[in-house]
Formats: sequence, C-alpha cells, structure tokens
Amino acid sequence: MGEILHVILHIVNIIILIYFFLINAFYLLFIILSLFGIINHRNLTTYISFKEVFRLPLVKPISIIAPAHNEEKTIVDSIQSLLALEYPVFEVIVVNDGSTDRTLDKMIKAYQLEKSRRVFRKVVDHKPVKGIYRSPSHPKLVVVDKVNGKKADALNAGLNISRYPLFCAVDGDSLLEKDALLKMVRPFLEDPEKTVAAGGIIRLINGCIVTRGQVQEVRLPRNALARFQIIEYFRAFLGGRIGMSMLKSMLIVSGAFGLFRKDIALQCGGYRTGTIGEDMDLIVRMRRYLHDMKRPFEIRFIPDPICWTEAPETLKSLSRQRNRWHRGLLDTLRYNKVMLFNPRYGITGLFAMPFYFIFEMLGPFIELLGYIIFAACVGLGMVNYPFALLFFLVAVVLGVFLSLLSILLEEYSSARYPRLRDILILTLFSLLENILYRQWLTLVRVIAFFDFYKGKEEWGAMQKKGFAQAG
Amino acid sequence: MSSSLIITSYSLLFLLLFSVSLFGFIIIRRLVLEARQVRFQRLYKQIEKDVLEAISLLKPDFSLEVARRHKGHSEVLTQVLLDFGDIIVGEGREQLRIIFDHAIKDECLRRLASWRTAKRLQSVRLFIIFFDPAESAFLFRLLNDKPIVKLAVINALARIPSPETLSHIFKAFEEDTGYAVQAYFNIMFSLGNRSEPYVKAFLNKPLSAEKLGLLVELVGAIPLRTLYGDVIALAGHPDKEIRIRVARTLGKLLIPETVDTLVALSSDEAWEVKAQAVKSLGRMKNLKTLDVLGRSLFSPFWHVRYNAGYGLAEMGEEGLRRLKEVAAQDEDRYARDMSVMVLNDLIFAGGAA
Repeated sequence: MGEILHVILHIVNIIILIYFFLINAFYLLFIILSLFGIINHRNLTTYISFKEVFRLPLVKPISIIAPAHNEEKTIVDSIQSLLALEYPVFEVIVVNDGSTDRTLDKMIKAYQLEKSRRVFRKVVDHKPVKGIYRSPSHPKLVVVDKVNGKKADALNAGLNISRYPLFCAVDGDSLLEKDALLKMVRPFLEDPEKTVAAGGIIRLINGCIVTRGQVQEVRLPRNALARFQIIEYFRAFLGGRIGMSMLKSMLIVSGAFGLFRKDIALQCGGYRTGTIGEDMDLIVRMRRYLHDMKRPFEIRFIPDPICWTEAPETLKSLSRQRNRWHRGLLDTLRYNKVMLFNPRYGITGLFAMPFYFIFEMLGPFIELLGYIIFAACVGLGMVNYPFALLFFLVAVVLGVFLSLLSILLEEYSSARYPRLRDILILTLFSLLENILYRQWLTLVRVIAFFDFYKGKEEWGAMQKKGFAQAG
Repeated sequence: MSSSLIITSYSLLFLLLFSVSLFGFIIIRRLVLEARQVRFQRLYKQIEKDVLEAISLLKPDFSLEVARRHKGHSEVLTQVLLDFGDIIVGEGREQLRIIFDHAIKDECLRRLASWRTAKRLQSVRLFIIFFDPAESAFLFRLLNDKPIVKLAVINALARIPSPETLSHIFKAFEEDTGYAVQAYFNIMFSLGNRSEPYVKAFLNKPLSAEKLGLLVELVGAIPLRTLYGDVIALAGHPDKEIRIRVARTLGKLLIPETVDTLVALSSDEAWEVKAQAVKSLGRMKNLKTLDVLGRSLFSPFWHVRYNAGYGLAEMGEEGLRRLKEVAAQDEDRYARDMSVMVLNDLIFAGGAA
C-alpha cells in the first residue's frame, strides 16, 4: 500500500513539475515576444505624429460606450476624460445601468442633461430604457438611463443606441489618455477589412494625481495590494497580451478599454447577457463566428493607448473581483467548449483556448494540488527537505525574474513611473508577492470554480474611493 | 548529492544570476537614460535659443554660424529641426534649411541607408521638411523600403509639384498591396486638383475594390467635380462597397446632373447603398427628391429611415412639412417615431444655439 502511494505521489509530483516548467516557459515566451513587439512598435511610432491620424478623412467615427452602475464618485471625472479625447468624430454614450446611488443625478447636474426623444434600432436585446438624455453644452454626450441588467446588458443598450461603425467599450470608472483613441484606431486604418477588435493597456490609477479627468502625475500607491496588482497588470498586459497578440491568440480585450467593429459584434449577437465575463466572451464568440464564416480577421493589442482604472485595495473587494473574473473565464470556456482542441478553429481552437483551459482554468487546482501533495509528503515523512527548499526558492526567483522582465517591458514601452525609487519598490513587491499573496489568489480562484458550479451570479462590485482620493 | 538536487541548485544559481543582472540592467539603463535626458535637455535649450535667434534675425551668416556651432550635436539638432520644421514657414524655414544643409544633411543622407528603420524614418522626415528637388533620386531609392518608410517618402514626394513625382506616387499606389493602401488617401488628398488626370485614368483601370473605392472617396474629398461622370459610371459596380462610396461621393460633389443616379441608388438591393443614397439626396436639397425621401422614411431599414429623416430636415420648410405629416400619422409607427425624433432634435439644436 505504502509503495503504491509512493508511486502515485511520485507521478503527481512529475505532473506538477511538468506543469510548472510549461507554464513558466510560456510566460517567458510571451514576455520575449512582447519585448520584440514593444521595441518594434516604439521604433516605428517614434517619428509618427498621431496628430496626422486626426487629419485623415477616412478615419471612422467611434461611439464610446461606458456602462455605469453606482459610480457617483468617479462618473463626472470619467465623462470629462472621455469628452476631452482627441479624435475627429466621436460620441460618448454613458449607460446608467439602474444605479441606486446618485450617478444619474450627478450627470444631470454636471452636464445639464435634458430628456431626448431619440429613437434607436433594437438589434440586440436588453432591459428597458427609461430615458435618453442629451446635453446642450456637450453635444457629443448621450446618457441612457435603463433598468439594471448588468454590464453586458448595458453595453447592448449602448450598442443599439450608438451611431458609428466602431465602438469603444470602456468602464464607467476609467480614464482614457487624450490620444488613446487615435493610437487605438491605427490597426483599423492599416487593415480595415481584417481588423475586428483592438485592445489597449490598462494601468492602475491608485496613487496617481488626477485633475480634470486626466492623470497629471504617476505615483505608486501606498496600499500593498494595489502595488501587487501593478506588477500583475504589467505581466498581464505588457507580457501576456502583447505576446498572445503576436501569436494571433488573444482571447481577451479588456472590458475597461477595447475598440470593436460594430457590425461584427452585432452579427455575433452583441454581448451575451447571461455572462459576467462579457469582454472575453465577446472576443471568443467573434473568433468563433469569423472562423465559422471562414473570414480572415485580426484582433490586435496596441501597447501605447492607455486607460487608467482603479484597483481594489481591500482583500474583500479584490477577492470578489478575481472571483468574478474567474467565473467569467469558466463561463466563456464552457459556452464555447466546441472550440477547444478543435482544428476547425485554427490557432484559437488548438492553442489559445487550450492555453486558457489548462493554465488559467486548471492552473489554480494544479497549484493547490502541489501544496496538498507537499503537506501529504510532510505527513508521510516523504519530503526531501533540501530539494523542497531549493525548489521553492527556484519558484520564487523565477517569479521575480518574470516580474523583472515585465518591469523591463514597462521601461521600454512608456516608463510611466518616473522615480528610480518606484522601480526598487516594484522589485521588492515582485519578491513579496510570492509569499502568501500568490497562494491566496490561488485559493480565491479555486473557490470561484465552486461558486461557478453552484450558480453564483454576484457581480462583486468594489467600493470606489474616487480618483482624487485614490492612493 | 542526488542529480535532482544538483540540477535544482544550478537552476537556482542561474536564475539568481539572471535576476540580479536584469535588475542591475534596469537600474543602470534608467540612470544612463536619466543622465542622457538631462544632457539632451540642456543642449536642446541651448540649440533652441540659437535656432530661434537665427529665425528672428533672418541672417544667413548667423544661421551658418549656428550650424557650425552645433554640428557636433547632431542628435539634439535633428530633434530641434524636426520640432521647428513642422511649424515654421517662409523665410524662417529658409534659415532652418541653411542649418540643416550645413550641419546634418550629410549625416541624414548616410542615415537613409541605416539598417535601423527608426533612423531611416527620422531622416526621411527631415527630408520631407527641407525638401530639395535635386535630392529626389535619394528618395526614389527608398520607394522599395519597408511600407512605413515608403509612405514617408511618398509623403515627401507629394510636396514636389512635378508630373514625375505624381506618376511615382500613383505607380506606388497601383503596386502596393495590403495595409498601406488607406495611407495613400492622405497623400493623394494633399495633392489636391493636381491629381485629377491620374485619378481619372486610374478610375478606369481594373483595380481592386479597395483601391477603386479609395479613389472614388478621394473624388468627393478633394473634391474633383469634373470627374462626376467617371464616378457615375461605377454606380452599377457589382461590389456593394463601391456603390456605397459612389453614393457618398455624389453627396459631396453636389452636382444636379447626378440626382437621377442617386435616385436609382436609393432603390438599390443593398440597404447600406440605399441609406447612403438617401443621405446624399438630402444634402442635394433638391425639392424634386422630396417624394423619394418621404417614401424612404417608411423603409423597413432603420438607417434608411434615419438618413431620410435628417435629409428631409435639410430640405427646409417643405422637408419639415413632410416630417410633420409623417409624425402625425399612425399607420407606420417606425416612420412616425423617426420623424418625431428628427423634429425633436431640430428643436433641441435650436435651443442649444
């Protein structure tokens, strides 16, 4: 019996080691690809004036759709940042998704909104619209007040009401940099037929100084959780997404900032209202639809348009957010399971979906299994302590190495953190995140798995501090 | 010591080494960049002061002296010239040209052959600003470069008023494939009426739908009114995108003789073409098309109704009367709602004004 247990534990250990090797090899590959991608992009754009894009008569107009639910603290600043964007023709559609706080009142007061009798084509379904408002002083602004139906439902309402061929989905609590749209629209100019979606960088606003809807000074937050998340965002956006985009395997264009072709989104049925991971879900369904139609397409990630958003600063709100993200991932993978390992869906079915399935969905379980097996081995006296200690150190140093590479990517892409001290602090936190924070996140994602199968649908909204107080 | 322990120990050692080196590299790179930035700023201010003086004095001797003084700081001087070259015109630009010619032109010519795209691009941009027709041969050679460099070159060529350059631009347009096609629009647009004979010739060539559509769009954007006949000839093109662009272009040219074509396009099989034709008819403000627009308000397609509504609104009093009539009827609530919205919008816009 003891012999069999020993063999089983040995096999599981090997599986975990292979998993550890593979996941880190992929992350390293993505980061290396990103490094080349960023350097190439920087070289090509250094001497291009994005103001020239502004003059191009063929630039397509954009509808910016910003769903807002209980965003009273940030909504006015967010709208201000959206209205201040530099772009030839655009409209800003803010969808108040049944807020129970003073979100709508604040917008009405700040922008002198008046009720409009605008009619729209209901191409995709959504909860009833209570009213459409327009501002005499800001003709680009349209505010839609509707019954609460969650984010995907609000985006669908915005899609129906929008007028332009491209739409940009942004979060109601996000701030876009002034030239973000001009930079983001580039792939749609280069290849208007094939490009169906593009994503930009999301950065954390915690700690930054914001005035009049624009980030004036970039600083690190004091909160440790927010600092951990800054490194995570570096790895995810500068490492992961650019790398995935270069492998033509990008499955997520962040819901906080993404530009899409409206006709394709509508042909896919718009946002799926039953899901909470609406951003990933839309991209996966777009890929599925375009593969089914045998239409060539491109989904691009552009490393320089920047969107600032507030990160949760308490364990409770962070765990809710990550729980929601993981449930969204599981839901999308389940809904589109036909694509998994299916050669009909090209690289999406053979690489992108399996990657998310094995490393993102099963990853937390394999990691947790590793801890359990270690505990079992300790109990059974089967631990080779010097090896275990060395292996733990290898895992920690490898994690730090990957984080340092993502900091290097940040330095090459835009170097937004001006002080040398910031780099030192981020390096320190990339070391600290391996102790407890990482394990806690694994547990959160495992719990999310069970929550998903229990049918939990809670959105998990976080408590907003407002931009001025962020940090 | 077991083999797994040895492998893990070495892995740890190498990873530590890599991590410490990487950390060191990040820090040293940052320090070097900061120091370089400080030096760059200091030099920039110094050169900027001299260049501004040269621009205000307008003395070639002084400009030559500035060129001599800063010849050794080509990187900073390049940046100053790029920054000022785009905004200074007239005699001031001539002083900048003197500085460019005597301080960094030779280096720029060398950089045109650099293996680094960024350097080639930077040099091309300078040549765009300080173009001398005698150097067009250098630029023609770069027409075989990467798309981004090639486009920059074509941009430079667009500034030379000679038939030869026009033929190069259109030849490059004809030969180019893929993603750069849209960028030609900006370049050809800047050529204005000079491009007319070439656009006319190319409209009758068997080009791809994307290129043909771009040319049709160009006719409306410049606008090249004499080419309306060539545009009308494409109204029956099998590609829907071309028909949409024909309808849009005719709405920009505003030539009364094209009304019949637009009326025909307003009953096209594709709703997108109908919608565009109706929009253009609205812009024509031709009262003879009131019935067409009125009928389009009852179209099953939202975009057609929308454009018809706003088209009628542009027609003035008669259009408003039609809108009020449709708003008062109950037979088609979609047409009614659209009319109400347009009327409401007119009141709203009036209030805002």
